[in-house]
Amino acid sequence: MRTVVRASLRIHARRYVAAAIAVVASVAFVVVIGVLTAGARAGFMENAGAPFRGADHVVEAPEDGPEPGPPCCPGTLDLSDAIALIDRLGDNASGLGRVDLPAYREDGTPVGWGDFRGGTTVGPIAAAEELRWQKLVAGRFPDGTGEAVMHVWDAQAQEVAVGDRIRVGDGASATDLEVVGLVVSPTTWTQASMYVTWPQYVQWRDRPTFHVGSIAVRGDVGPVPEGMTVWSAEQYVRNGLAGLNNDTDVIALMLLLFAGVAMVVSALVVANTFSIVLAGRLRDFALLRCVGATRRQVLGAVQREAAAVGVLASLTGTLLGVGLGYGLLPLINALAPTTPLAAPALPMPWLLGGFTVGLLVTVLASGLPARQVVRVSPLSALRPETTLDVRTATGRARQVLAALLLLAGLALLGVAMIRDSTALMVAGGGAVFAGVQLFGPVLVPRLVRITGAVLGPAGRLATENAVRNPRRTATTTAALLVGVTLTTAVLTGMATWRAALDEVHVRHNPIDAALTSLDEPVGTDLLDQVRRTAGVEQAIAVDGAVARITGFGAPLPVVTAPSAAQVARDGGSFAQVEPGTIRIDLDAFVDPGVEPGDQVTVQVGDRAAQLRVIALTGWGQAAVVAPETLARLTDTPQPRVIWVRASAGAEPLALVEALDGVADAAGVGLEDRLQAQAVANRERDILTWSVLGLLGISVAIA
Amino acid sequence: MEALRGIDLDLPRSRFTAIMGPSGSGKSTLMHCLAGLDQAGGGTVTVAGIELGSLDDDALTVFRRRHVGFVFQSFNLLPMLTAEQNILLPLELGGGRIDEAVRERARTLAETIGVADRLGHRPAELSGGQQQRVAIARALVTQPDLVFADEPTGNLDSTASAEVLEHLRRSVRELGQTVVMVTHDRDAAAHADDVITMADGRIA
Repeated sequence: MRTVVRASLRIHARRYVAAAIAVVASVAFVVVIGVLTAGARAGFMENAGAPFRGADHVVEAPEDGPEPGPPCCPGTLDLSDAIALIDRLGDNASGLGRVDLPAYREDGTPVGWGDFRGGTTVGPIAAAEELRWQKLVAGRFPDGTGEAVMHVWDAQAQEVAVGDRIRVGDGASATDLEVVGLVVSPTTWTQASMYVTWPQYVQWRDRPTFHVGSIAVRGDVGPVPEGMTVWSAEQYVRNGLAGLNNDTDVIALMLLLFAGVAMVVSALVVANTFSIVLAGRLRDFALLRCVGATRRQVLGAVQREAAAVGVLASLTGTLLGVGLGYGLLPLINALAPTTPLAAPALPMPWLLGGFTVGLLVTVLASGLPARQVVRVSPLSALRPETTLDVRTATGRARQVLAALLLLAGLALLGVAMIRDSTALMVAGGGAVFAGVQLFGPVLVPRLVRITGAVLGPAGRLATENAVRNPRRTATTTAALLVGVTLTTAVLTGMATWRAALDEVHVRHNPIDAALTSLDEPVGTDLLDQVRRTAGVEQAIAVDGAVARITGFGAPLPVVTAPSAAQVARDGGSFAQVEPGTIRIDLDAFVDPGVEPGDQVTVQVGDRAAQLRVIALTGWGQAAVVAPETLARLTDTPQPRVIWVRASAGAEPLALVEALDGVADAAGVGLEDRLQAQAVANRERDILTWSVLGLLGISVAIA
Repeated sequence: MEALRGIDLDLPRSRFTAIMGPSGSGKSTLMHCLAGLDQAGGGTVTVAGIELGSLDDDALTVFRRRHVGFVFQSFNLLPMLTAEQNILLPLELGGGRIDEAVRERARTLAETIGVADRLGHRPAELSGGQQQRVAIARALVTQPDLVFADEPTGNLDSTASAEVLEHLRRSVRELGQTVVMVTHDRDAAAHADDVITMADGRIA
C-alpha cells in the first residue's frame, strides 16, 4: 500500500491544503502562547526574579499577620531571625536587602546627586557564585569586608573607577570601601548602587533603613522560626509572575480558551475536508477492495495519509508559532512596557504539546470519514460510472437518533426560554444542531428539491445534479452548516462578551479622561480649549479644593460633582456620594496606605473632616465627596479638575495625544482610560478575527 | 427475490467462457458470486478447491487477491498510479516483495499485451484501449486461477475491442489462464471457447 499512499498524497495534496492550514494555524496558536508564557517567565527571571535564579527555595515574610521587619520596610523579615538563618546556611544562603548610607569620597566630597547627594544604597552580594545575580563588567567581586563593587551606571555618573575608595556610613559604623569591580544588576527592589559581602552588610544592621527582604537558598532550608514563609523557587517565581500583572494571567487563560476553540474548529475542518476528499475517491477504494485490499489495509492507507498531513501541518505550525512568538516578544514589550518579556529558551513542552495535539486532532478527526469509506462494497467498482454511496446498516438507527435529538433539543430550547437558563439553551442548541446534521442525507436533498422546484426547468436540472449523490450533498451541506453555525455562534458570543465587557468597563471607568491641577484652579480658557479639541463630546470643570489625606503622601484634589451626569459613562452615579464618606479611585495611586473602609482625616487649610473611604475606580487622582462635605472643608471651592467624555467615533489615541498637548501647555496632569480600552479592544478584535479566519476556512472548503 | 436459481455450472480450466444474456438475466450476479464479490444465499461455489460460502470478508478479500483477476468495463485503474504501479498493485497488496524479477515479469506481460512503452504513464494519459490492456496485465500478473472480465469491450471502439478480446484469447491459449467474460455482445462472445446463455436467473 506504500505506493498507493505516496501517490495519493502527491495527487491529492492540494485538496488537503484547507485542513492543513487549519491545523497549522491552531498549532501555531498554541506554540505562540507557549513562547509568550515562557517569555514572561524569562522576563521575570531577568528582572525581579534574577536574585532567585540559582535558588531552590525562597524565604519571605508571611503575607498576613504582624510585620516582623523593621519599621522602615513593611513586608521584610525579622532582622535577628534573618541574620541567624543566613549564618546557619552559610554559602547556601543569599540575603537580599538594602540600606541607605551616607557616602563620601576620600577628599570629603559627597557621592550622589540631587536628593541622594551625600548618600548611597548598599546591598549584599551572595557568597556563592550561583546565587550572585549581579554581572561583573570590570574588576572582580569583593572578597571580604572593606571591599565593594559598584553599579556601572552609578560609577559612570559619579566618575568612580575601580581602585577608588569611598567612605560609607558615619560615626562608629563608617567604613572605607575600596571599589574592586563594576557590575550591572537588573532593576528589582533589591537593586543597589553598591554591593558588599554579607559580613560587611551586617555591620550596618543598626541603621534605620537596614532590612532583609527575602533570602534565596540553595538546597534545604531546614526549620525556620515563626514570621518566615518558605517557598520553592518555582512557586515563588509563579507567584511573582501572577502578581506582576494579573492581566497577563487572564490573557493567557483567554488565549488558551481560544486555542481550544481553534483546535475544535480545526477538528471540524479536518473531518469535513477528509469527508469531501474521500467521498470523491470512493471508486478508488472500491477498486482497491476488489483487487484484494482488506478493509484494514484501506483504513491504514487513509490513516497514513492523515498522519502525513498531520505531521507536515503540525511541524509547519510549530515552526510558524516559534517565529511568530519570538517576533511578538519585542512588539508586546513596545506596546505594554509594564510586562517585560525576554527571549526565552525554546519552550520544548509547549512545542511538543502543540505538535502532538495538532497530529492527534488530524488523525482522530479524519478517523470517522476514513471508517465510512472502508465500508464501501467492492462491488461498487464494477458498476459503470454510477454514483457511489456508502450504505450502512445504521441508517435507520441514525434517523431515529436524529429525530430524538431534534425533539429533545426543541424541548430543551423551550424550557430554556421559560427558565432563562443558559446551560439548557446550549444543550438544546447542541442537540438540534446534531439532529439536523444527522438528518442531513434525508433532509438536504428534499430541501434542495423544494428550492429547485420553484426555479423552473433550469432549477429542476440543477436540483437533479445537486442531489445525484445525497451523501456527498449532505456532507457538503454539513460542512457549510458547521462553518456558518460556528461563525454565527462566535460572532454572537463576541457581541455578548463585548457588551458585558463594555458594561463592566462603563461601571469601572465612568470618566474617559481627566485633567487635574494641584497648583492653580483650572481656568475657563482651558475648559474651552478642551471642549474645542476634536473628539471631545463634552467636558465639565469640577469644583473642589486641594486637600491632604492621611495615607497619601501627596496632596489630592477633593471635588464634588453634581453635574457629573453630563460626562460620566455611568450616568454620574459614581459621583453621588453619601455625606461622611469619600470616594477615592485607589487604582489611580501607586501603593496608597489606605484601604476601603478606613477612616481618614481630610484636611483643607486649617479645616478637617473625618471621612470613611469608599473605593471605586475610573476617574483618576481626585477624591469625590458630597457637596455638604466639601462645604465643611472650604468656603471657596474652585475648579480643580476637568472631566472629559469622548465622542462616539473618536480615535482614542489621537484624542489622548491632543489632550496631552493641551494639558502640557497648561501645566496640568492628564489621565485617561481611553488608551487602555483601545488596546483591550484591539486584542479582542485580533482574537475574534483569528477565530473567524479559521471558521472562514471551513466555510471556504464547503 | 432470487437472482439466480438452480445454477449448476462447472467451468473447466484453461478455457475462455462467455456468459451471455439480456439485462437482468442474472449473469453479473453469477459472476459476482464466482469471483467472491458477493455471497450466494444458498448452494455452494468452489474455486480452486476453496468453498467461498464459508469465508468472511477478510478471507474473501485474500481469495480475490490470490485467485482472481478482474477486468472491468470502465477500465478502473487507480488514477494516481502509473500503468506499471497499477499492474503491480495486486502483488503489492499481497505484501510480496516487488523485486527486479517481479518487475521483469510485469514488463514481459506489458510487452506481450502491447503497453510496454506506456508503463510510466498515468491512466489519464492512456487511450481507452491502452487502459483496458493495462487492466488485463493487472489481472494476469498474479497468475490467478480465474480471470473475470465484466463487459470488457463495453466502452471501446471495434478495433480496440478486437485487440482486447484477442489478448484475453491469447492469455488462455499461451498462458493457460481460465477466463470468464460477461457480455451481451454476440461478436465478443464469438471469441470464447464456450458460451453460456442466461435468462431469468437460470442457464438457458
